[in-house]
Amino acid sequence: MADETFDLVGCLERVRVRDQAAAKSLVEHLYPLVIRIVRAHLPRRVPEEDLAQDIFLKMFSRLEQYQGNVPFTHWVSRIAVTTCIDQLRAQKRRPELRWADLSETEAEVLDNVLTDSRDDGPSDSLATRELVGKLLDQLKPEDRTVIQMLDLEQKSIAEISALTGWGQSMIKVRAFRARRKLQKLFQDLQQRERI
Amino acid sequence: MSTDDRNWQKLATAARSLPLRMDVAAPFGFSTRMAGLAMSTPRSASWALFEKFAIRGLIAACACGAAAAAFGYSSWNSDHENDTGADDGVTEVFDLS
Repeated sequence: MADETFDLVGCLERVRVRDQAAAKSLVEHLYPLVIRIVRAHLPRRVPEEDLAQDIFLKMFSRLEQYQGNVPFTHWVSRIAVTTCIDQLRAQKRRPELRWADLSETEAEVLDNVLTDSRDDGPSDSLATRELVGKLLDQLKPEDRTVIQMLDLEQKSIAEISALTGWGQSMIKVRAFRARRKLQKLFQDLQQRERI
Repeated sequence: MSTDDRNWQKLATAARSLPLRMDVAAPFGFSTRMAGLAMSTPRSASWALFEKFAIRGLIAACACGAAAAAFGYSSWNSDHENDTGADDGVTEVFDLS
C-alpha cells in the first residue's frame, strides 16, 4: 500500500457516520490494491474502471458487515476477487482453443514452446501474455484465479487463502485441476497441429 | 514435472517478465464520484439489521421447532402408551374393555 501512515480505523469510523470526505480518502487509499486485482483477473471486454466501481460500491454497501476478523485490505480483496469471478462466470464459456484462434506471433510462441526442449522461455513477452490469457480463458473462473495467483503473481497458498477466503486444501485442489486442464490443452493443441 | 507442465511454466515465466502497468492511482474524479454514489445511497438500517440477525433467528427457530417436536412426540407417545381405550366412545358403546 502506498500510504503507510493512513489511519484506516479512523477513516472507517468516519465513513460509517456518512462522512463523504472520508469515503473519498478510503477509495483513494484502496484504489491501487483494487486495480491490481482487477487488472490481473480482468475478464475480457470489461473496462477496468467499471469493475473497480462495482467493487467499491459493494464494499460500501457491505461495510456494516465488516467485523474486523480479518485485515480490512483482505476483506476488500475478497470482494474484488469475487466480483471478478462473477464477471468471468457471467461471460459465456469460450469455445475450445484452436490454432486458428491465435495470432501469428502467439502461434509462433506456442510452436516454439511445444517443439523447443530447452528450458528458456519465449522471447516475445507481449504475445506470450496474450497466449497465456487465452489458455487461462479455458479454465473455470475459480481455477483460473488460483493458477493466476500461483504461477503469474507468485503468491503462496497462504497468501491466496487470505486474499480469497478459500481454504488451503481447496486452493491445492483447484491448482491441481487447473494444471491438469492446461496439460490437456497442450496435448490437444499438439495433436491438432500434427493432423 | 511433465513436459506439458514445463511448457506452461515456460509460458508463465515469460509472461511474468513483462513489466506491470505502474499507473495505480485512481483516475481524476473517480474517488469523488464513488464517495458521492456511496454516501447518497440511503443505508437500509432495517435490512442490515435483518441480515445480521436472520441467520441466528433461523437457527434459534429451528432449535425451538426441533425441541417442540421432541417434547410433543414424547408426551404424545406416553399418552398413547397409557391409553387403555377406556375413554373411547366405541369401546364404551360396545363394551369392549
